[in-house]
Formats: sequence, structure tokens, C-alpha cells
Amino acid sequence: MDAVGWWSVVRFVHVAGAALWVGGQLALTLVVLPLARHLLAPGAKDLLTAQVGRRFGLLTGVLFLPAQVGTGWALGWHKGVTWASLAEPGYGRTLAAKLGLFALVMLAAAGHGAAHAKGRPALARALAVVSLVASLGVVLLATALPAT
Amino acid sequence: MAKNPEEEATDRADRTDPMDRTDRADRTVLAGRPASGSAVSERPRARHLTAHLLVVAWLLPAIVAAAGRDELPVARWLAVHLFLLGAATTAVLVWSEHFAVALLHARAPARWGSDARIAGVNAAAAGILAGVWADRPVLTGAACLLLVTAVGAHLVTLVRLGRGALGGRLAPVVGFYRAAAGALIAGAVLGWLLATGVAGPRWYAGLRSAHVHVTLLGWIGLPVLGTLFMLWPTVLGVRMSGPTTRVARRVLALTVTGLLVAVTALVAGWRPGAVAGIAGYAAGVGLAAVLFARTVRVRRPVSSAAAGMLAAATGWLCVAVVVDLVLLCVRPPDEVRDDAGSLGAVLLVGFVAQVLAGALTYLLPVVLAHGPGERGALRAVLEWGWPWRLALLNAGVAAAVLPLPAPLGAVGTVAALAAGAGFVVLAVPVLVRASRARLREGGAREPGSRARRAARRPVLWGTAAGTALVLLGILLANSGARPDPPPAAAGAGGTGTGATRTVAVTLEELRVRPSRIEIVAGTALRLRVTNGDSRRHDLRVAGGGPATPMLATGESHTLDLGRVTGDRTAHCTLPGHRAAGMTLDIDVSATTGSKRDGTEQDGTEQDEDATVEVTGHDGHTADGPDAGAEFSADWRPRSAGLAPAPGGTVHRVELRAGRTRAEVAPSVTQEMWTFGGTAPGPTLRGRVGDVFDITLVNDDTMGHGIDFHAGSLAPDRAMRTLEPGERLRYRFRAERAGAWLYHCSTAPMLQHMANGMYGAVVVDPPGLTQVDHEYVLVSSELYLGTPGSAAQVAKMRRHAPDAWAFNGVAGQYTERPLRVRAGDRVRFWVVAAGPVDPVAFHVVGAVFDTVYKEGVPLLRPDDPGGSQVLDLAPAQGGYVETVFPEAGHYSFVDHDMRRAGAGARGTVEVSE
Repeated sequence: MDAVGWWSVVRFVHVAGAALWVGGQLALTLVVLPLARHLLAPGAKDLLTAQVGRRFGLLTGVLFLPAQVGTGWALGWHKGVTWASLAEPGYGRTLAAKLGLFALVMLAAAGHGAAHAKGRPALARALAVVSLVASLGVVLLATALPAT
Repeated sequence: MAKNPEEEATDRADRTDPMDRTDRADRTVLAGRPASGSAVSERPRARHLTAHLLVVAWLLPAIVAAAGRDELPVARWLAVHLFLLGAATTAVLVWSEHFAVALLHARAPARWGSDARIAGVNAAAAGILAGVWADRPVLTGAACLLLVTAVGAHLVTLVRLGRGALGGRLAPVVGFYRAAAGALIAGAVLGWLLATGVAGPRWYAGLRSAHVHVTLLGWIGLPVLGTLFMLWPTVLGVRMSGPTTRVARRVLALTVTGLLVAVTALVAGWRPGAVAGIAGYAAGVGLAAVLFARTVRVRRPVSSAAAGMLAAATGWLCVAVVVDLVLLCVRPPDEVRDDAGSLGAVLLVGFVAQVLAGALTYLLPVVLAHGPGERGALRAVLEWGWPWRLALLNAGVAAAVLPLPAPLGAVGTVAALAAGAGFVVLAVPVLVRASRARLREGGAREPGSRARRAARRPVLWGTAAGTALVLLGILLANSGARPDPPPAAAGAGGTGTGATRTVAVTLEELRVRPSRIEIVAGTALRLRVTNGDSRRHDLRVAGGGPATPMLATGESHTLDLGRVTGDRTAHCTLPGHRAAGMTLDIDVSATTGSKRDGTEQDGTEQDEDATVEVTGHDGHTADGPDAGAEFSADWRPRSAGLAPAPGGTVHRVELRAGRTRAEVAPSVTQEMWTFGGTAPGPTLRGRVGDVFDITLVNDDTMGHGIDFHAGSLAPDRAMRTLEPGERLRYRFRAERAGAWLYHCSTAPMLQHMANGMYGAVVVDPPGLTQVDHEYVLVSSELYLGTPGSAAQVAKMRRHAPDAWAFNGVAGQYTERPLRVRAGDRVRFWVVAAGPVDPVAFHVVGAVFDTVYKEGVPLLRPDDPGGSQVLDLAPAQGGYVETVFPEAGHYSFVDHDMRRAGAGARGTVEVSE
């Protein structure tokens, strides 16, 4: 088998997608938004925040989420993961925990968008932080999975 | 001389309305500001609020743990320590500093210092609780160190407050606080010794008792007693009686001296000292109680709730101290059981919890409220339903203490807990209300900071929620046992024996007996665990295995481990017990089917489903008995000395075959099969031509026979197997000289001999010279475990003795050397009993000038040559002689160093 084969590409897409998404969130939270708050007038800041959020959400929904779910599904199939094996201690439960946490991250991200739209900034911020912290947890659990 | 402000306050108060009066007086002292007229400042109020939120935060889990104390093994310990080390310690720390400042009329210590001490004590308490809960001795130790440091700093602060301070009339009360801090330091060190098992099981009981006394009577009891001198009259709304200061000094001297003596004596295990010390403490408490009783007036107290609770609590303290004194008098300290929970209940709930509730009912409104109106409102909340709570709590404690039938006692415990929880439930809204008010004020004062804080809040909540989710994910990922590779494969592969073994396991004296069980892989193992100790214990199989509930004295519980395919361990989960040595190793040997067939050929009955008692042989490992262990105090060595042959030519001997328990290696007790009650059996001696007339009686429940190598006769009758209760007369004439073996003649002889049924017959060769000392040494292997059990027999078959021995006990003459003088001629008769191993007898530093082996004199003193080793195959015998040249310690060994290193050795101590 080739050192870099098609499955490496699939795994690359999965890992790179996760890195970009988590990195994007961190960059927004730690770099872009604080600077926007400091440098821009309130009106401009709100506009920027809204636009950044919308674009990031769009990218997430159209590119990131389908890519992660698709490649993740393929990798699981390749490794022979079944629904039943998700309950087994060790690999199965770690993967199940990771999937569950990922689902919660997506829910929090969606909730963030919704809260923002409804004009509840405090809730939106809290959900954004939940999403960020939990997605780091997803990465932690992913690194805990034995090499596939 | 000018009156100090506190007295002035009281004096002034006496002339006004009684209700208003005390409030003003106590506010002066209690708010910690000696000469103030203004309201309590914001800073101390904030600190009190934080401290009491901490107290309540400790109380809630304490009540939960107390409710589940029978289900969770550490829960009982946890409940006690959450309550005392968490809640009570925080309260004592805060209030003793607060009152010290007030009573000494000193300047309050730096705020950061007080905060650091509270933080330190709370972090230490959390660390100790976590360390013991998770069995992390390093964490426990570090937390104990932190506790000692924080309380040490508290002590230093109290001492420094006294320097140069004005000192009020009640300044001696601060002495109680200082002594208490010292007591907690001692208690923390003792607790660390207990929790980590560093001191070992011998000291456990004494240390535990000392720890309980120094913490309860010292750290909690002393400050409470001291504070009552001031708080009691305040709560009653009367003037302090005249001799208060004098009595306080006397009580302090009595209680502190008494406690010091008692704790030292308890550690040393010296009962009279402990009794005297506690008597001193009791006298002090009594003195204080009399003064308090005299203070009571008919008029209505300022706070009836607080007065009632404080009085009841003091009463329980008196009861507990007296009961403790009686128990110490009538029972040895190490027998004071830890499930004598009644005394604990009295002190914990009746005294500590009630004092805490009583004092806080009065004090919280004083320190938290802003004005008389709010104070009254808070007090009303805290006093809600107090007569009922008081009655319920004290009736509950009484029911738990008195020897009532079990359900009533349990109902009592629940009632007392419910009453205690009632106070917590009331205190929470008071604290919440006070903190809301504080936040409102803070917000009003600094709008900018409030906005900043509001902006930060979603981030905090988000981080907390996200972290919680991640932790849940990790818990899920780590849940379930790791898949062990062997079990499924072993079960399917058919290597399992299919046998079930039930082993009786006893928990006693901080030991699990046996401490090691050896089983064949695939055996279904059941442990019938019995607690034979006066303390409560449990046994948990590590790695997610089954666990017994807490077992009281005499209780049993059977653990089903299923098929065991890999080594397992089990231990008692009570804090410190595992570290002190309460562990059990379950070792799997790789014996498989083929060897089992051999067992059956032997004709042993392996009852696969019977309960067998594995006799205790704690401390030994696969390499034999623990070299560091010591023989127990009542162990006596078997004399190696050989007396001259008795007169007469007929030697009549009755030998009884039976079973005896013997200490066969340091701290290793083992059931042996014996002739005449010892292994080896008695040594018989005669001369050539003498007749030995032996009567063998079988006292055992299995068959035995006997075979004397020294006699020649047809084995058919003489060596036949005797059924239980039968007798046999065995006569033989010793036609030839030598050192002979005798042994059991019943199959399987491997087991009968390996379990101790052998001995020596010495028939003197004609012309045997006189020597200064004659010794007989019978060499043998030792196989530990239940005689006849599959595991023990497996060891015999694959020749894996646990130890080797001269005269049946490994290393006994290293412990008790043979004693001779320099220049003495010494003769060693040696017989190799085996059953498998030969012996290569050698004396380090000595040369044999005489060797006699198997009837042949091989070397005589006047020969030019010398000999270094007497080599004997199994069942051979002979003697060697040597003259020890000078004083010193000469080891004698089996020169096969594996055997010498595992028990086949001893010492000849040669003096001038």
C-alpha cells in the first residue's frame, strides 16, 4: 500500500477541516472580535460581528459540516466501526464520546447564531464559548483515539 | 484604672432596656471592633459572608455523605471529615481570629493574611479529602503539610495579636484558641500517619485514638469552651459573673494539660496516662459547666434558640467526655471500636453540629446585618421552628446513643440529620440574602465595574459549561473496564480448569488472612470474607472487581470473582488500611490439565467446591517468606540440642499423628501434619541393639502410617495406613548405627512429608566420643498454603518450595542462635528429610575434622584431611564435628545458596 494513498487524503480532509474550524473560532474569539470592540465604533462593530458570524456560519454549514461528517463516516466504515462497537469500552466509547461532543458543539454553534439573531448577546456569547471549549474537547478525544 | 470598653459597654447596657442592652454589648465585642460606635464596616462583613458560604458549602456534601455512609466505604470517613475538617475547621478558624481581635482589643491582622489562611485551610481540607478518596498518599501528605502550615500561621497570628494589645477581661479565652491551633497541628500529623499507613499496623489503634481525641476535644472542643465564657452570658443577656476570668484560666490549664497527657499516653498505648489525662479534661469541662449553670437567670434570654442549642451542646460534651473516660477505663485503647458510633454521634451531632448551629443562629445576624431591623429579620429566619429542631436533634442523638432496638437508633440518626439539615436550609437563604444585598450595594457604588463584570459573565458561564461537557465526554470515553486481552481467549481456549474454589478470608488486625491466594488459571474463585476484627472493614477487588459492603465485627460476605485468568489484588478501602498492609494478592499459576491428572493419580481428594481455609501466611511472596518480617512475640524456637541416649535398651514411645498450627517462618503461620505435635516429629535416640517400641495413634481425620528407616522388617503390616482413630504398635531393633529418617508411609507421601510428617532417629555408633555440644538438624522444604490444596500441591509438583528449613522453621536459629564457647567440640547430626531436596551442610568459618555419613566414618580428627560440607541425598543422615577456634558468629547453611537464602540457615554464636 502506498505511503500516501487515497485514505490518507480522506483523513487529511478530516483533520484539516477540524484544525481550520477550531482555529477559525479561536482566531475570531481571541483576535478579531476583541480588536473590533477596541478599534471600531459601536455601529461598525455590530455590523462586522454580524457579518463575520454569518460568513463563518455559512462556511460551517456548507463546507465544514458536510466534509467532517462525510470523511468521518468514511473513516469509520474503513476501520470497521459498527453501531454496536460504539458501546464497547476503549475505542468505541471514546469515539462515541467524541461524536456526542461534536453534536453538542454543532448545537451550541447553531444556538449561538439563533441567539444572536434574536438579540440576546449574553446568551450568544456564552454559547460561542461553549462551542469553542467543547470543540477543543473534541480534538482532545480525537487525539486519544488509537491511530486508525 | 479605666474600665475597658467591653465592660463599659456592659455596664452601660445594664442601665437600659434589657433587650436593647445585650444587642449593643454583643455587637461591640462580636463585630470585632473594640471601640466603635459606627456600623459594622463592609470589609469584615464580606469576609464573614464568604467564610460562611464556605461553611455551608462543606456542610451540604457532609450531609449527603452521612446519608450514604453504609453504601460507600469511604463515605463514613468522608462525612466526618467534610463536616469537621471542612465546615467546623473553617468556622473555628474564622471565629477564633475574629474573637481574638475583639477580646484582646488588638488591631485586626492584615486582610490578605486572613484570606490566605482561610484559602490554605480549605485547599488543604479539599486536598486531604480528595487524596484519601482517590487513594493518593502523596496528595494527602502534601495537603496535610499545607494544613499544618496554614494552621501554624494562624497560631503565629494569634500569638502576635496578643503582643502589645490592650487585653480585655476575657483575654485568657484567646489561650483556648492558641491551644486549639496546636491541637489541630498535632491532629493533622497524626491523621497523616493514619491515612498513609506510614506508622504501620502496630501503632494504628493508638494513633487513631489520639487523632480523634486531639481533634475533637482539642481543635473543636477547646475554642468552643473558651468562646462560651463570653458567648453564653451574651446570648442569655446577663452580665458575666465575677470569677469568669479566673475560672477560664483554670479551665484552660486543666483541659490543655489533660489533653496533652491523654494524647501522648494514647499514642504510647499507656492506658492509665490516657485515663488521667481525660479525667483532667473532664474536670476542666465540669468546672466550666458549673460556671455556665450559675450564669443562668430566670429572665428571657436574648436568643432562646441559641441559648437552648448551646446548653444542649455543652451537655452532650459533658456526656461524651464522661463516657469516653469510662470506656478508656474499662476497655484497652485498641479495643475501642470505631463502630462505637454512639460516642461519635454524640460529639459530632450533639456537640459540634449543635454548637455550630447555636452560635451561628446568634452570630450570623450580628455580623451580616446592616441595622437592627435587618438583624431581627435574619434572626427570625434562623430561629424558625427552633424548639422543634432542638427537640428533634437531641431526641435523635439520644436515640442513636441509647441501646435501643435497631430501627429506633436508625430513626434517631435520621431525625438528628434532618434537624441538622434544617439549620443549613435556613442558613442558605440568609447568606444568599446578605450576598444579594452586598452585590446591590457594590453595584450602586461602582457602576463601571459592574458593567465589566456583567460583560465577563457569559464568558465564565460558557467556559464552565464547555469544560463540564468535555469532562463528561472524557468520563464516557474512560468508562468501562479496559478490555483485558486474556479472559475471552482463555475461556474459549479451554485452558480453564472448570473448577470452583471458595476461600475463607479473614480481615483482622489490619491484615487480610491469607494475604496471598494462589490458584490455577481459569479457576472460578469465590472469597468468603469475614471480619474478625473489632473495627469495621471491607474488601474490594481492584480493577473494577466486586466489593463487600462495610462488614462489622463477625459479619461475612461472599465475593464472586468468576473465572480468574490474571493476577488480581484486593484491599480494604478504609483510609490508611491499604497502606498499612490490608491487601490480598490473588496469583494465578499456569498449571494446566496435565498436572491435574497427576493429582488424581496420587489419590488426593480435591474437593473442587468445598470451602477450604487457607491458613494465614501473610507477607510472603513468590520468593518465599518476607525476609524483613519478625517472628511473633510468643514464638519459641525448637531446641536443636540432642540429649544423650536414655538408659535401658527398650525405648517406648507413643506418637500421635495429627494437625498443628505452627509459625514456620517469621510471621507465617501454617497448618502442619505432625507426629507428636511437631514438625519434625520428636528425635528418638538409642544405641546399637536397642529396641524401639513405638505406638502410633492416628488422631487425624485422614489416614497416616509410619516408616522407620532404622528398622528392618516387612512393610506390609507395620507401615500400613491407619484409619482415623486406629492404633498401631511398631517394634524394631536398631541393628545398625546411623542418623535415620522416619516419615509417614501413606500415599501421597510427597504431601504427607512436605506437610511435616517426618523425624530423625539417632542410633549411636559404638565408641561414640563425648563432645561438648550435640545438635540435631533435620533439613526440609516448606510449601505454604492449605495443606493438600491444589495450589500447594502444584508447588510441590513443580518443585517450587516457598522456603527451606532446619528443624521445620525457616531461619529459626538465625533468630535464636545456638550458643557455644570458643574451643568447644560440637557435633551436628544432620538428616535430610526432603522430601525432594538434598542438603549440603556447611558451617561458615569452621572446618569439619570428623565426618560420619550413612553408617561410615569418612574422616577422623587425627586424619590429615578436612571436610567442608556434609552432603546428604533425601533421607540420608550423618554427623560432622568441629572445634570453633575463637569467639564470633558462625553461620551454618545449606550450601545450595538458593536454599540458604530462603531459610536453610542459622547461626552458632561462639563466646569466649
